[in-house]
Amino acid sequence: MKEWFAIIMGASLLVLMIPILYRIIVGPTGFDRILCANVIGTKTAVILVIIGTLFDRVDMFVDFAIAYALLNFVGAIVVSRYFNRTVPLQEMEKDKAKPRRRLKA
Amino acid sequence: MIDTLASAVLAEPVNSPGWFLVHAIGVSMGIVGLIFFLGTAVGVVRFPDFYTRMHAAGKGDTLSTMLMLTGFGLVMMEDFSANSWLLLLKILGIVLFIFITTPTSSHALMRAAFEDDEMPLGEEDLNKLRKRRAKSKSK
Amino acid sequence: MKKTAFILVLCIGLLLAWAAKDFPAWGDPQSPASSSPVASHFIANTGVDTEVPNMVTAVLADYRGFDTMFETVVVFIAGLAVFSILRGGPKSRTRDREFVVDFEPDLIVTNTVRLIVPVIQIFAFYVLAHGHVSPGGGFQGGVTMGASFILIALSWDLKTALARFPIERCFTVAALGIVIYAGIGLLSLFLGGEFLDYAHLAKIFPVSPEMARYHAMLGVEIGVGFTVTAIMFALYASLSTDGRMRDGL
Repeated sequence: MKEWFAIIMGASLLVLMIPILYRIIVGPTGFDRILCANVIGTKTAVILVIIGTLFDRVDMFVDFAIAYALLNFVGAIVVSRYFNRTVPLQEMEKDKAKPRRRLKA
Repeated sequence: MIDTLASAVLAEPVNSPGWFLVHAIGVSMGIVGLIFFLGTAVGVVRFPDFYTRMHAAGKGDTLSTMLMLTGFGLVMMEDFSANSWLLLLKILGIVLFIFITTPTSSHALMRAAFEDDEMPLGEEDLNKLRKRRAKSKSK
Repeated sequence: MKKTAFILVLCIGLLLAWAAKDFPAWGDPQSPASSSPVASHFIANTGVDTEVPNMVTAVLADYRGFDTMFETVVVFIAGLAVFSILRGGPKSRTRDREFVVDFEPDLIVTNTVRLIVPVIQIFAFYVLAHGHVSPGGGFQGGVTMGASFILIALSWDLKTALARFPIERCFTVAALGIVIYAGIGLLSLFLGGEFLDYAHLAKIFPVSPEMARYHAMLGVEIGVGFTVTAIMFALYASLSTDGRMRDGL
């Protein structure tokens, strides 16, 4: 029963990832692509646990899942900081009059 | 219900009714997680602008991952040895980790998009969308 | 051009998929990798020689310890090369920057990172020390540990991270890792064995030769972990700032 549950969950996860892949390919802005890549990265932690169930070594694959979730978080922070903090110099010269939008914390 | 759960704690055989209850809870949590992930997928494809798509992806993704992982942790339990408790604890550790980090990365992405002059849909865009939809409906 | 590249990639992909059907079945005992005398020797003897359940760690840190030592040296040299090339470049590079950096630490991100950095570091130690039993070891633990420092640099700024782990200390720690590794090897050399022959460490430590190999492997992994942690962070700090070590990403 455990194996069948894992197989059905994994297959339906893979099928449900297709719309998200569509958004990665089509997505009008770069942020859409990053967001959807992040969603797939989070789901990869689940898929790793499923693979562990099928190979009967869950104790091992759980460690991989933790490391994967961690690196996924680091990746999302890297990309958001890159878009947030770096401004191309030419644009900065062009619209010096208009200050950047700031979200006050 | 408490009696059956207690019998699961005390009794050894795997196929006692308490175990069936635990596994049934795990399976149903996994299925509910899949339903939430379906919501995420539909929302990501159909919503009109970045911020609404982020709403679908951020919430549905976090909750569905947490539910699926917890369900798997419960399905994986077959006895009360130290190993399976350790496994459940590790899986709950991932759940806690995802509970903290995924909303944070959504927030960081949202802030980056906002400060990068990504505009949400305004009244005019919505009117345009409504007109287009009415046209396609009348056809 | 894009279409040609796509067709080319597709063709190569199909070719590889077609070639994959010649692979032996998964877990096939008759496959060349499983039936070679080297593999069967390691499978039969790692448990007896070293008492390490994870054969990969035993092969990596003991039987092929020389190889792993120079892999660590390669990591160190890579970090040193990136640092010195970017630092010693022409001064003109600092003038024509293509972007300006405009930062303000985010409240939510910094507080989350404050919460999870200790967890990441404990997990890194677990991966490092548990490499005898489960997958893991010095390289993986070092990368996880380096990621925690990179996370600090990303969520505040590079100055905050460099205040905790200055770039000079990075290279000191990286060199210390190699010194630990080579020191264990030299110690076994002076005790009458060969270089990196850990069994001879049993002469000065109150353990059996097998357990001496077990514990020496942990020491070696700690050395690798030191080097990889420090070089990961030094690489990030050098590459994200063009070697200026300020105003990073």
